[in-house]
Amino acid sequence: MEKNQIDKKKKNHYNESNTFRLSKGDIVFNIINYTFYIVFTISCIFPFYYLFINTISDNELVRKGQVNFFPQGFSISNYLSLLQAKEVGQAFLVSAGRTLIGTALMVMASAFVGYLVTKQQMWHRRFWYRFLIITMYFNAGLIPWYLNMSMLGLTNTFMAYIIPGIVAPYNIILVKTYIESIPAELEESALMDGASYTVIFWKLIWPLSKPILATIAIFGAVGHWNSFQDSLILMQGAPELYTLQHRLYLYLNQASNIAAMMNSGSSALSETLQSSLLNTKVIKYTISMVSIIPILMVYPFMQKYFEKGIMMGAVKG
Amino acid sequence: MKDKPSSNQPVVDKLYYVSRIGALLSVVLMLFPGINPSRICGYINKNMSLFTSGIAYSELVKECERAFTKGWIQESSFQLLFASSLIVCIGIALLAVCACMSLGNIKMKKAGNFFGMAGGVVEILGLTGIKAAYNQVAATSKPDKVLPVFQSNGYNFFLVLAVIGLVIAVVAQLLLWKTESEERFEMDSKYKLFLMILPFLAAAFVFSYLPLWGWRYAFFDYTSGSTLSMDKFVGFKWFTILLENAATRADILRVLRNTLAMSGLGIATSWVAMAFAIFLSEIKCGPVRRFVQTFTTIPNFISWVLVYALALAIFSTDGFVSSIFTQMGVWTEGQNLLMDPNHTWLKMLAWGMWKGVGWSAIIYIAGISGIDQQLYEAATVDGAGRFQKMWNITVPGLIPTYMVLLLMSIAGVLSNGMEQYLVFKNAINADSITVLDLYVYELGIGSGAIPLSTVVGMVKSLVSVALLFLANRISKTLRGESII
Repeated sequence: MEKNQIDKKKKNHYNESNTFRLSKGDIVFNIINYTFYIVFTISCIFPFYYLFINTISDNELVRKGQVNFFPQGFSISNYLSLLQAKEVGQAFLVSAGRTLIGTALMVMASAFVGYLVTKQQMWHRRFWYRFLIITMYFNAGLIPWYLNMSMLGLTNTFMAYIIPGIVAPYNIILVKTYIESIPAELEESALMDGASYTVIFWKLIWPLSKPILATIAIFGAVGHWNSFQDSLILMQGAPELYTLQHRLYLYLNQASNIAAMMNSGSSALSETLQSSLLNTKVIKYTISMVSIIPILMVYPFMQKYFEKGIMMGAVKG
Repeated sequence: MKDKPSSNQPVVDKLYYVSRIGALLSVVLMLFPGINPSRICGYINKNMSLFTSGIAYSELVKECERAFTKGWIQESSFQLLFASSLIVCIGIALLAVCACMSLGNIKMKKAGNFFGMAGGVVEILGLTGIKAAYNQVAATSKPDKVLPVFQSNGYNFFLVLAVIGLVIAVVAQLLLWKTESEERFEMDSKYKLFLMILPFLAAAFVFSYLPLWGWRYAFFDYTSGSTLSMDKFVGFKWFTILLENAATRADILRVLRNTLAMSGLGIATSWVAMAFAIFLSEIKCGPVRRFVQTFTTIPNFISWVLVYALALAIFSTDGFVSSIFTQMGVWTEGQNLLMDPNHTWLKMLAWGMWKGVGWSAIIYIAGISGIDQQLYEAATVDGAGRFQKMWNITVPGLIPTYMVLLLMSIAGVLSNGMEQYLVFKNAINADSITVLDLYVYELGIGSGAIPLSTVVGMVKSLVSVALLFLANRISKTLRGESII
C-alpha cells in the first residue's frame, strides 16, 4: 500500500518535471535554444525572400535600395523581360534538357545495373561489382579527365552532359541494397515461369524498387540542375550549350554582359523594356530566382525521399 | 553440346579467346587518338580518335575550311575519309558482336561467325578507304601546309586485328561445320548476365579508368594541340620544377596552406552538425522542429553559384546590408563586404556551414530517433539533467556515425572541390582562397600548363587514395569495420 503510494508520487513527480513545471534553467535554455534555431532558419530563408521581393517590385525603388523587407510597387516585368533574353532561355533549356534526359538515363541504368549485380550467377560478379564501385574512391584529376573527354570528342556537345553521368556507382549501391531486400521468392517463381532477366527486371524489379528509384532520381536531378563545372570546362567553344548556372555565374561576374544580352534579344525590345533591363542588379536577381524556383518547386517532394536516401547511404554494401 | 562432344570444340574455344581479345583491343584502341589511322593530315585535330572521326564529320573538318576553299584538299576526300572511318567503326562493332555471340551455344556461335566475317571484311574495306583518302590528300599541291601523314602504326594495327578476326571467324565456322547445332539460340546465364552489364562496365572504364592514361602527360613536354612523341619525353622534369622553381614552389605552398586550413577548419567544426541535431531535438514543439529542419536543409540543394548570388544580394555594395546601414546613417555609402580581404578562411567556413549544416544534421537526427528511449527514462529517474543526458546518452549514441564521417573527411582533406572558391574568388581575396582543386583548374585550363597541372593533380589523387586507405585502416582497428 505504502509502496504504491510512493510509486504514484514518483510518477507524478516525473510527469510534472517533464511536462508542466519547467525550472528556471529550462526556461532560459528553451528561450536561447528556440531563438538560435529561429534566427538560423530565418537566415536560411531570408536571402531567398529578399531576392524574390526585389524581383517583383518596382525597379526604380529597387535601384534606390528601398525594397528591404516587403515588396513595393508590384510588377512582374522583370520575368517578362527575361523571356526576351535569348541566352537565358537557351541556358534554361539546356539545363532542363540535361536534367530530364540525364536523370532518366541515369535512373534506368542504375536500376538495371543494380539489379544485375545482385545476380550471383554472373561471370565474376564480385570482380565486376568492385570494378564499378572502386571508381567512387579515386579520380585521375581534373586535367586528365578533361583531356580524356576531349579525346572522346565529348567537348562542345550536349552529349557531354549526359553520357558520363549514366553510370553512377553510388546510386548502383543504393539500388542493389534495396533490391536485395526484396524477397527472392518473387523472382525465383518468375524465373520458373520462364521469364528472362530483362522481363523480370521490367515487370518485377522496376515497379518494386520505385521508392529508391524516386530517391536517386531526385538527387540526380538536383545534381544535374546545379552542375556548373562541366559546362565551364567542356563547353569553352560552345556558349549556346552553357547551363543556366554557368550563365548566371557569367552574369554575376560581368555586368557588361547585360548590354550584349539586350542586343541578342529580339529587335522588338521596347524602350521601357530596355530601361528595365538596364537595371543590372535586378537582372541578376531575376536570373537567380529563375534558377532557384525549380529547386524550390521540387523541394516538397524531395523532402519525403531525402531522409531515406541519406540513411540508405549509411548502409553501404 | 554435352551429349555430342566434338573434337574440334576445344580448338574453337581457344581460337575464340584470341578473337575476343582482339575485339576488345579494337574497341578500346578505337578511342585512343594516338593511333588513329584516320588522322591523315595536319588539319585533323591531334585529339581525334578513330571513333570520333567516324561519328562526327563536323569535328573532322573543323580546321579544314581554308584548305577546302584554297583547293589544297578536295572536300570529297574528307567525305571519303569520314565514310571509311565510320565503316571501320561498324566493322569493329560487328567483330565485337561476334566475340559476344561466341559465348553462346553452337547455333549462336555459328551465327556469330557470320558477323565476324562481315565485320572483318567491312573493316578491311574501311581501312582501304582511309588509304585511298590519304592518297588523295597526299597528292596535294601544298604538302608543307597540309602535312599529309600516314599513321602506319595504327593502320597496320587495325588491319592485323581485322584480318585475325576474319580468319578466326572463317576457321571457326569451318571447324563447327560438322557439329550439329541446337534448336534455339542459347547462352549460359552467367555469360548472358555478363554481356548485359558489359556496356556499363565499358562506360565506367572509359570515363573513370581511361583518364588515368592521361597521367602520361605529366612526363612529356606537352602544349595544348600538339602530339605526344617520345622525343618530347622529359621524365620527371615537371616534378622537379614543382619543387625547385621558386615561384611555383611558393604557389604550391600557398595553395596547400589554404587547402589544409579550410579542410582543417571544416574537420575541426564537423561536430557542429551533431550539436545542431542534438539541440534541435531538444525543441519539443513538433511543428517548430519540422519547420527548422525543412528550411535549414534548403541551402544544401542550391548550387554554389546561387549561394554566391544570394551573397551578392545581401552583402554587396547595393545589397541588403548596405542599404539598411546607409538608410540608418551608419555608413555614408554602400560597402562590398565580399571584397574584404580579411578572414577569408573563416568566411568560407561560414558559407559552407550555412549551406551544409542543416543537411549534415539529418543523419544525426535519424540517429537520435534510433536511440533507445528507455535510456533517457532511466537517466531521468536517476536524476540526470538535460545536459547530462545529452552528454552521456545522445553523444555516445552518435559517435559511431560521427567517426565514420570524420574519417571520410580526413581522407578527403585535399579535395575541397573548386566551385565554392571559384565563385567567391576575386582580385582581393585570391591569395587566401585558392585551394588545390581551383589551382589545378586555373593552371591547366586557364593557363594551359597541362603537364604541370597534371603533376599536381596526380600527386593529389595518389595522396588522397593513400589517406583513404589510412582512414580505412584506422576505422578497422578502432571499430572493426571498414568504411569503404
